[in-house]
Amino acid sequence: MTQTKLEMKNITKTFNQDTILNDLTFHLEKGEIMSIVGPSGSGKTTLLRILAGLEKPTEGEIIMNGKEITKQKANRRSISLVFQQPLLFPHMTVKENIDYGAKVSKKYKAEKIESLLEATGMARFRDHYPSEISGGQQQRTALARAMATEPEVILFDEPFSSLDPSLRQDLRYWVRDFLASRETTAVFVTHDMEEAMIMGDQIAVFENGKFQQIGTVETLHQSPANMRVASFLGGHLILNDHEFVPLHAVQLGSQKTSENGVSFHASVEHITYQHGRPIVHLYIRELEKKISLPINESLPKQEVQVTIPCDSIKTFSGEIL
Amino acid sequence: MKLFKNRTFLLFLPVAIFLMIPFYGFIHAVIQSLGGEGLAHYEEILSSERFLSSVWFSVRTAGIATLVSIILGLGFTKFFHPLLTNISPRLMVWIPMLFPHFVWGYMVILMLSETGWLPQILAAAGWLETPSNFPVWTRDPEGIGIIITYVWKEVPLVILLLFPVYASIRPEYYALVDSLGGNAWHRFTTVDLPHLLPVLVETFLIIFSFTLAAYEVPALIGTTFPEMISVLGYEWFYGSSWDDRPLAFAAMVMTSLFLLGLTLMSYYGLSRPRWRAMRGDRQ
Repeated sequence: MTQTKLEMKNITKTFNQDTILNDLTFHLEKGEIMSIVGPSGSGKTTLLRILAGLEKPTEGEIIMNGKEITKQKANRRSISLVFQQPLLFPHMTVKENIDYGAKVSKKYKAEKIESLLEATGMARFRDHYPSEISGGQQQRTALARAMATEPEVILFDEPFSSLDPSLRQDLRYWVRDFLASRETTAVFVTHDMEEAMIMGDQIAVFENGKFQQIGTVETLHQSPANMRVASFLGGHLILNDHEFVPLHAVQLGSQKTSENGVSFHASVEHITYQHGRPIVHLYIRELEKKISLPINESLPKQEVQVTIPCDSIKTFSGEIL
Repeated sequence: MKLFKNRTFLLFLPVAIFLMIPFYGFIHAVIQSLGGEGLAHYEEILSSERFLSSVWFSVRTAGIATLVSIILGLGFTKFFHPLLTNISPRLMVWIPMLFPHFVWGYMVILMLSETGWLPQILAAAGWLETPSNFPVWTRDPEGIGIIITYVWKEVPLVILLLFPVYASIRPEYYALVDSLGGNAWHRFTTVDLPHLLPVLVETFLIIFSFTLAAYEVPALIGTTFPEMISVLGYEWFYGSSWDDRPLAFAAMVMTSLFLLGLTLMSYYGLSRPRWRAMRGDRQ
């Protein structure tokens, strides 16, 4: 049976005259992970801080397990936050840092600390100080410390952004499995679409203080709500305010390839390789858009013709949920 | 490599020479205090009632003045450090440091002695019957005047030393403690205190050493009994009898050794790795 764990209703936040969050509403089932993805500086962190109780919303309410908690202080909420930086206490060892989370929230059990040390792979480093371990290990310790408070919801604020890319990839899967195995309800904020897809059951595209669309990866890709979502996903060629084409339907050739279609002139800007395949980067002057497409053989020409079959042109769904 | 080592040594030389001056003074004082009679002068002052009560009075007075200065300075810095980033509040706080201690002591006499401004004002306002009903806070046997002068003068120094530490604490740490379920006490003990502790220990040592052995303030607003160790030393040194001179040296040598011991204890008392970690050093 699913039950609504966390709900946000009509949350608005203004700083001076600026509206940072504009009438936000969403809900999370128990054990569900939601990724919130949006450009840097769009107010994602403010959203998390409001959920954690570190900041007050100007309007709206937050409901947890059916109870309103909008006015509850951060230290009374059963919500933990993992920050962008690990923020381990430098004067405490790995184990003492994890102990601290458990003790402060009055949920200390020796066995729990042991199992967290094991689960995060930090058992070997229990007596190390934060300055003696790597960035990834620090962030895993920070996660263990947050989990030690036994939160009902755990929030992540771009926790991998300070790590190097190879480590980041490993840690993404590890955290995802860790949360899934414990059926933890989580909100994961990132500016990286790929990370959002790996971490979240649902993805909320957040821009201009609003959720542009909330849905699964498939929904987002198949029927993006609007231009913003489509351009953030990067898998579509946006024709105008209401119409777009999935990139896989776009055809390339030296001449117009299909009679029943629209055709544009494009210039080849660059060829790179990804996943072992050549990728051509094109600029379509008429639409003022850049697109990247996988190709099978190298294109000798500087100028190509991009053809879009009429039946593959779609309109934005306009539906947020 | 050899050249480099030599050069490092040369760079160190001025400091070494400079440090030799007080060291020479100290050795000389030790020789004078022995006066060719072994430890006789030490035994004499250690069995002297006057010396022992002076030691107790000095440690007590300097200790109270130091602790009160640190507590007030810490509180002030904690609550007002965001304001101190502006130049004018900062100047206002630090101006007391520009005046000599003697001036500050004289100001305390002007304000708080029985004929001072405060008793006069209180009497005029009808709060006191006569100004002489005001408690004796200067030249008093409890050293209250000395403590007030030092606290007033040293609080800005504490703020000066603690302000950069507070300014360097990342506010996310407070948010972190909140989100883990901690309260204001947890914020202070796990975020503020570990950051501050090394500086607090140093601040304590600086102020305590100074207030314990400084002369002008207790000479100005202290009593003749009990007296601060510095006042006693001065009397023994310049007193009518030349025989007391070695006693003055013995008293000062013991004070120096006591402060040296206290400093070493503070530095080695804290566990080394924690100390390093608090300062954010790597291995």
